[in-house]
This record gives sequence, structure tokens and C-alpha cells, in this order.
Amino acid sequence: MSGITISNLTKRFGSNTIVDDLELTIDEGEFVVLLGPSGCGKTTTLRCLAGLETPEGGTISFGDRTVFDAKTHTDVATHRRNIGMIFQSYALWPHMTVRDNIGYPLKVRRKKEALRSGAVDKAAAMVDTGHLLDRYPSQLSGGQQQRVAVARGLVAEPDLVLFDEPLSNLDARLRDQVRTQIHQLHQRLGFSAVFVTHDQSEAFALGDRLAIMKDGRLEQCDTPQRVFDEPGSDYVAAFIGMGNRLVLTRHHEGWQTANGDVLDLGSRSPERGGADEIIARLRPADLHLHRAVEDAPHGSTVLHATLVTTEFGGRHYDVLVDVAGERLTLQADTREHGAWLPTAEEGAPVVVSFNPTDVRTYAADPARSAERESVAV
Amino acid sequence: MAAVLAAPMSRIRSRGWGGRIGYLVLAAALIYMIVLPLYRLQSLAFADGARGYTSQYGRDDIGEVIWTTVQLAFFSLVIAMVLGTILAFATSRLPRKFAFLRIVPVLPIVLPAVANVVGWAFLLSPGPGYLNAAMRHLPWWNHLESGPIDIYTPTWIIILTGFGLTSFVYLFVSAGMASISAEHLEAAQTSGSSTIGVFFRVVLPLLRPSLIYGGGVALLLGLGQFTGPLLLGSNTGVKVLTTEMYRRVSESPSDFAAAAAAGSPLVVLGLVVVLGQKLLLGDQTRFVTHGGKAFKSAPVRSRWAVATIVVYGIVALVLPLIGLILVALTPYWSSSISWGLLTLDNFRTLFQTSDIMDSVVTSVVASSIAVLFCVPIGFMIANLLVRGRRYPVIRLVADLVSALPLGIPAVIFGVGFLLTYTEPPIILYGTRTVIVLVYIVLMIPFATRLQMTALLALGETYIEASATSGASSFTTNVRIILPLMRPAILSAVALMFILLTHEFAASLLVRSPTTQVMGTRLYDLWANGSYPLVAAMALLMTAVTGLGVALAMLIGGRNVLDNL
Ligand SMILES: Nc1ncnc2c1ncn2[C@@H]1O[C@H](COP(=O)(O)OP(=O)(O)OP(=O)(O)O)[C@@H](O)[C@H]1O
Ligand SMILES: [Mg+2]
Repeated sequence: MSGITISNLTKRFGSNTIVDDLELTIDEGEFVVLLGPSGCGKTTTLRCLAGLETPEGGTISFGDRTVFDAKTHTDVATHRRNIGMIFQSYALWPHMTVRDNIGYPLKVRRKKEALRSGAVDKAAAMVDTGHLLDRYPSQLSGGQQQRVAVARGLVAEPDLVLFDEPLSNLDARLRDQVRTQIHQLHQRLGFSAVFVTHDQSEAFALGDRLAIMKDGRLEQCDTPQRVFDEPGSDYVAAFIGMGNRLVLTRHHEGWQTANGDVLDLGSRSPERGGADEIIARLRPADLHLHRAVEDAPHGSTVLHATLVTTEFGGRHYDVLVDVAGERLTLQADTREHGAWLPTAEEGAPVVVSFNPTDVRTYAADPARSAERESVAV
Repeated sequence: MAAVLAAPMSRIRSRGWGGRIGYLVLAAALIYMIVLPLYRLQSLAFADGARGYTSQYGRDDIGEVIWTTVQLAFFSLVIAMVLGTILAFATSRLPRKFAFLRIVPVLPIVLPAVANVVGWAFLLSPGPGYLNAAMRHLPWWNHLESGPIDIYTPTWIIILTGFGLTSFVYLFVSAGMASISAEHLEAAQTSGSSTIGVFFRVVLPLLRPSLIYGGGVALLLGLGQFTGPLLLGSNTGVKVLTTEMYRRVSESPSDFAAAAAAGSPLVVLGLVVVLGQKLLLGDQTRFVTHGGKAFKSAPVRSRWAVATIVVYGIVALVLPLIGLILVALTPYWSSSISWGLLTLDNFRTLFQTSDIMDSVVTSVVASSIAVLFCVPIGFMIANLLVRGRRYPVIRLVADLVSALPLGIPAVIFGVGFLLTYTEPPIILYGTRTVIVLVYIVLMIPFATRLQMTALLALGETYIEASATSGASSFTTNVRIILPLMRPAILSAVALMFILLTHEFAASLLVRSPTTQVMGTRLYDLWANGSYPLVAAMALLMTAVTGLGVALAMLIGGRNVLDNL
């Protein structure tokens, strides 16, 4: 086996195209994270890989073995694809002990040798559930159940491991714990994996590569670092944490906000001759709050804003400000701003600054911005 | 069995023709078993220029027969709906201490319909009926020679039938109640409604779908009612369509064409109801079970609930049993009980009469074999209905055909089987096989629906997890689905065993003088007037059923009956 190739994959439910001409390759041993908002078709893509759904078009190959091809009506049954799958709801069979659950993939694949040589115990030990082998799933906590499910998915050393939001039913602490475990297991065992999530921190932590989906298509597919540094589109930027959005129009050499501030975007300024309207994207952490323009660091770009709300967040305040009708969020250090911010009135004038290298700009899509406005009204 | 377990599932396909062919064979078998007898009846009734119809519907009394049938169905339906709903509401309001009473409304199904009817006859027969005799001691009735109640009249046949249908309505309504959340009720109560107010303003409107569904089934059962009219109404000339069918077949020479014609209105109505439910409810797989946040958890104590259920238990179970026990222990049935003469002789006679013992064996064997076949057949149909989206036509056919035996009275299947299997190519008359066949047909709706509910509740994920672990659909069925469905299957087995050991209507038609089941042998005793033996036989039937249920509980745990 060397890698998985998905090409032209199309899946419809009725007249809705859920997966739309999807192209993706997964190298052997690579951990690909499918990231996207709810309903964009991540689960459906995964289920097509598993053979739990029959796509309408395209091909899927595991190495040089074609497991699905719409044209030749090739459709290898799920149980012959040599995969492992970990479900959001764990799906441990309640009538079997943990041992039987983990051993099941070996048993049904007749891997007697592995069963005899203690593969079940080894798999259980990998996820720290060795002491739970004789319990029934109902006697386990959610985190333990999910770890058992991971062991079950990996025990038979499948060609491809599929994870469908395995962590989303766990509380925050357990989520980190199981996530770390999955990461270590991947580094140790080197299986190929597709991991579905809509949580960007999970995606960054686990993925060798992130595939960001939108409406059944891949919007961007790159390493976490590249996706973080250079989101390929406004959509991706919004999705991976650049929640702040400003619509800017060209004004001589600079870019103007709706309330008249002219910004120098430096090297991030799109070239002349491009669009006259752009969208600027910024992370909340890259925005800084000041009481007056003079307080802003030299060389930074400055925006005039009004205060909307302030929420105490421990080390920092979560602050919502208004810049010409656009809401921006940012974080203000408690020590620095504790004296005035909590008592500042709504509507008080403030100043927001950022380093021009932190901004990412995208050509405005006129249709989309019109749509947004009509929704906002 | 192996073929059944390999039943393909749409998501975990054995991607080929295997599944389609398997399901085609299944659908063909269902059509052969269920539709063919009905078809043969109709073609006979229409033969010779519809001679069957002209002869049956040219009779003087046909108007009266139809009118009695309709009245019987309608009024017994009303009684059953009212009682069933009240009982369901009452069980939901039982104080915790009395929670065990929840079993009472379903207990009467352990008492066979024939036993229930003769038990009441022993109590309310105008002459020697014990209750009548007792009532004649009351000052305002002490001048009477007989009565005051005559159980052999249409009114009382209707009342008894209504009582018999109550358990069915109860099952539907209480299932509906389980899906009403306790919050709905608490909301109504906290806004100041009384119990009665909650019932009429909240519970009844929310229950409308289950009431309509349960009412539809009860109406069909009422229209197809046979036992009560036959046992109580024969001598007083109370006739309904089902008893007419029996009479046409059992008079000599038997007139199958007329019998078939007599049953036609019931077949048509059954078809209408089955199709109507299909249209109204649509795809049943949408109704995935609601969670267990049930109605019953409402912590209200209602003394009237306890009283209602106790009274129902006494009337539906205890009184007829007392009637049966008293008569079974006396040498002959008379209005005054001579306590000194009580004896077990009747039971001794029963056990020494070989053909009676044969009937017990036949009942148990035929019921067990039928159940054994029904479970895998029902499992396959349920699988097709739940997962067979790829075979829309076969699925629709299987859905409709498998529901027919619930909509069409058992008597009609009895006549149809008698007709089909007394003629070439396959002659099975007088064998246990034909009894087994008709029993399988009668139980297919139950085997299917109960397992389908369980499959729907199971969901897809356990099955998908098995497939992604590398298991074929055969392995998944054996190792995952069947073990997880075990409780539901045992419930279905228990229910089918009860219904079959009680079976009377269809058995009466397909039996032969030498191949009898318990119910038909009891009827012969009744027709001969050997009342003490009838009583003993009725008790024996109840005991056999009780043993079967006890066995099911032993294997499946105590809540086997709860799942119904
Ligand atoms: N069996 C089905 N029949 C019809 N539509 C379906 C079916 N399964 C999924 N869909 C639709 O396909 C779309 C994508 O579903 P999918 O489950 O792949 O989303 P997802 O990206 O996994 O979302 P989430 O993050 O919420 O899990 C949804 O709009 C959903 O309504
Ligand atoms: Mg999903």
C-alpha cells in the first residue's frame, strides 16, 4: 500500500450534492485532518472512504487497489477495505467486554496469530486501558470508552484509520488527553489516517496536512503551518481563527475603512490594478487596544473604534469594538487596561492598532458581501 | 438460518445479486403464503358468474348479519378505546408502592379468548350462571326464575368483546404515552390543571396518533371477532360475517364460494386500513424510538388509578377464572354450588382422554414450530424494511403483505388455507403441517413489527462499527445484531407463543377430527355440553400458556412481557 488517492469524488443525497468533485491524496503514513463547519460533507467523505456510502461518481484507490470506481461499478465492501474507524459515539458493543471489543477486528479477520501473541493487551495498554479489559462498556467513563474505541480501530493495523470527530463528546480536559494519545500513537505506529473535526486546535495539533472543506469541496489543503500563516481564502481565514473582518476600499496609495481611516498595509497591500474593494482579516490576538492614537506603537496601523462590550477573562479582557459598523474582537491585557476599561462606557471612543504584517487580504466577493449585508439587516 | 443471517444490509452491502435474489425469494414466499389463499377464495367466489356472492348476499338475513357485525365492531371498539385509554392513563399514575400493578392490563392476554368467554358464560348464563344466581337473591330480583342478565344476547357479546380488545388498545396507547414527556404533564399541572384537566387537555390530544392507530387495529379485530359470537350466539341466532363463513364451510355440502363472499367485506376493509396506515404513517423508519424520558416517571399518587386497575383486573381476569375453577371442580354445572361435591375428576378425565392430550401436544408443537420459523422470517422482513432502501419495490410488497394477517380476520385465513390445502397440488388437510403454516401466517405481522422496532432502536452505528472492523454481514448479524436484539426476540417469542396456544378461529377451520388443537377441542366439548370438562380444559390451556411465558421469563429475564 502506498497512499490513498481520491479523485472526482461526488456524492449526492437526492438532488443535493454533498461531496462535489473532491480531489485528495493521502501519502502512506500521513495524518490528514478534514476540517470544516457543520454540514460541509466531512462525515460523508469519510463514509465514502469506508464504503458506508456509495458515491455517484469518482474513484478511490488504496495504493494500487481501486476500492471504488463509479465507471466500472467497482465497489469493494466495507469489510474488505482493511480499514479501522473510530466513531463520535464510540460505538462499543454493549454486550461484549472491552477485551472482546478490542479483539473483534482480529477475530473477524481471522488473525489468530495476533490474538495469541497478545495484540489485544498491547493495544489496550497503548491507550492506558489495560486494567479495564474485563469490564463492559457501560462500566467505563466516556474518555475510557473512546480510548477503547481507538484501540479497537488500530488493533488490526489497518491500511487506513478513519476518525469521525472522536473527541467531540469528551470534556475539555479529556479531549486534550485523548488527542495527545492519538498523536503519540500515530508517531509510533505510522498509520495513514483521515481525521474529521470542526475544531481548529485539534486540526493544528494532529494534522500533517489540513484539508479544509467548504460545501463539499476542498478549499485549501496544506500543512498546518502554511494554513495558519497563509490562509488561502477569506473562508479559510475566518475558519481558522481570523474572525475579524474589515471591508476596505482603495484610497490613493492606502486603503480606507468605511469611517474614513486610511490604512497603510505595507507589504500586505494588494498590487495596483487589482480589486478596489478588499477584505482584511485579523486574529483577535493581533489587535491591540489603546485609549488614544498617541499610545499606539510606532509603525503600526491605527483604526478609530468605539467600545461595545468588555468581558473579564482572567489575564485579559475580551473586548468587542465597532469600526464603522464592523464588529472586531480583541484581547486587552488586564494589568495594562484594568484601570479604565472596566468602567468605560459603551460607545466610548477607543483606538485599535495592528502590525500590517499580521493582516491577510482577500478580494471582496461582491455577491457575498451583498448577501452578508442583507442577512445583517 | 444461514440464508437469513446473510441477509444483506443496504449500508453494508454484499454488493451483488445475492441480496436481491434472497429478498425476491422472501417476497415470493410471503405472497405464496399470505396472498395466494386470499386470491383462491376470491376467484372461487367470483366463479360461475359470482355464484358465491349471489348465494351469500341473496339470503334473507344478510342485512341483519351485516348490521350485527357492524354493531359488534363499533360498540366493542368504543368500550375498548375508553377502557384501554383509561387503563393506560391509570398505569402511568400508579403510586410507586403499587408499580407492580402495571402488569395487570396485559395479564388478561394469558387467559385464552375461549376460556374468557366460557368463564363469563358460567357466571352470567341466565339459568345456572353463578353471578345471576347470586343476583337473584337481591330483593328486587328475587321473583326471577332466570336472569337478570342474559349473556347470550348481542349486548353482552359486545361487552365481552370490548373487554377482550381492551388489552390491545392498552398496548398501543401506553406505547404512545411513553413518548409523551413528563415535562408536558408537569407543565400542565404547574399551570393549575386537575388530573381530569390534564387528561383531556394534554394527554388525549397528544395521544391522537396512537389512538387512531390502535383504534384501527381494534376495529379490524372487532369486525373479525369470532369466538364470542360463535360460542355465545349460536343458539340464540346471533350471526356475524365470520360465523357465517364458518357455517357455510361446516354445513354439508360445504360452500366455500359463499364463505369467501361472506368474508369479502372484511378483506376489503382490512386492505383499506393497511394501505391507509401506510399512507398516513409513511416510511416507518422515520419513527426512530424516543428516549426513555417517560410519562410514568411523573411522581403523582392517584388512588383512583390503583382502584381502576384493581377493578379491571378483577373483572377481566379474576371473575372469569373463578367461574372456570368452580365449574371445573363440580361434577355438573348448576346454579347452586354443592361444596361437598367438589372434585378433581374433571381434570383426571381430561388427562385420561388421549385425544385431548393429543390436542395439547399439537398446540404446543405447532405453536413452537411456527414461532421457530417466524423469528427468522420476521427478522429478514424487518431487515428489508429497515435497511432495504435499495429494493424499493420488494420492500413495499413485503411491508404490505406482512401487515395483511393483522388486518384480515384469522377466520378468513382459516378458510383460505382449508381451501388451498384440501386440493391438489398440495394436500395437507388433517396434518399438523397445515396448522403450522396458518400459524406462521398469522404471526408474521407480530414477528416483523416487534423485531423491526428493535432494529430501529439499535441504530446503524453498531453495525457500521462491525463492518469497518472487517466483519461480513453474516458475522455482523451473528455476533452483533442478534445478541443485541435478544431481549426483543424473546419478547416476540413469548407473545407469539401466547397468541398461538390460544388460537381458535383459524384452527377451527383447518383442524380435522383427528388433528385438533386445545381451542378447537374445547369448542367440541362446549358444543356437546360437557361444561365441567370445558372449564377444566380452559384452565389447562391457561396453564400451558402460563408455563410457556414462565419459560420465556426464565431465559429472557422478568421483563420479557414489559417489552410488548
Ligand atoms: N443519509 C443522508 N440523507 C440525506 N442527506 C444527508 C444524509 N447524510 C448527510 N446528509 C446531508 O449531507 C450534508 C453533509 O453531511 P455530513 O454529515 O457529511 O456533514 P459534516 O460535515 O460531517 O457535519 P458535522 O460537522 O455536523 O458532522 C448535510 O447537509 C446533511 O444534511
Ligand atoms: Mg459529521
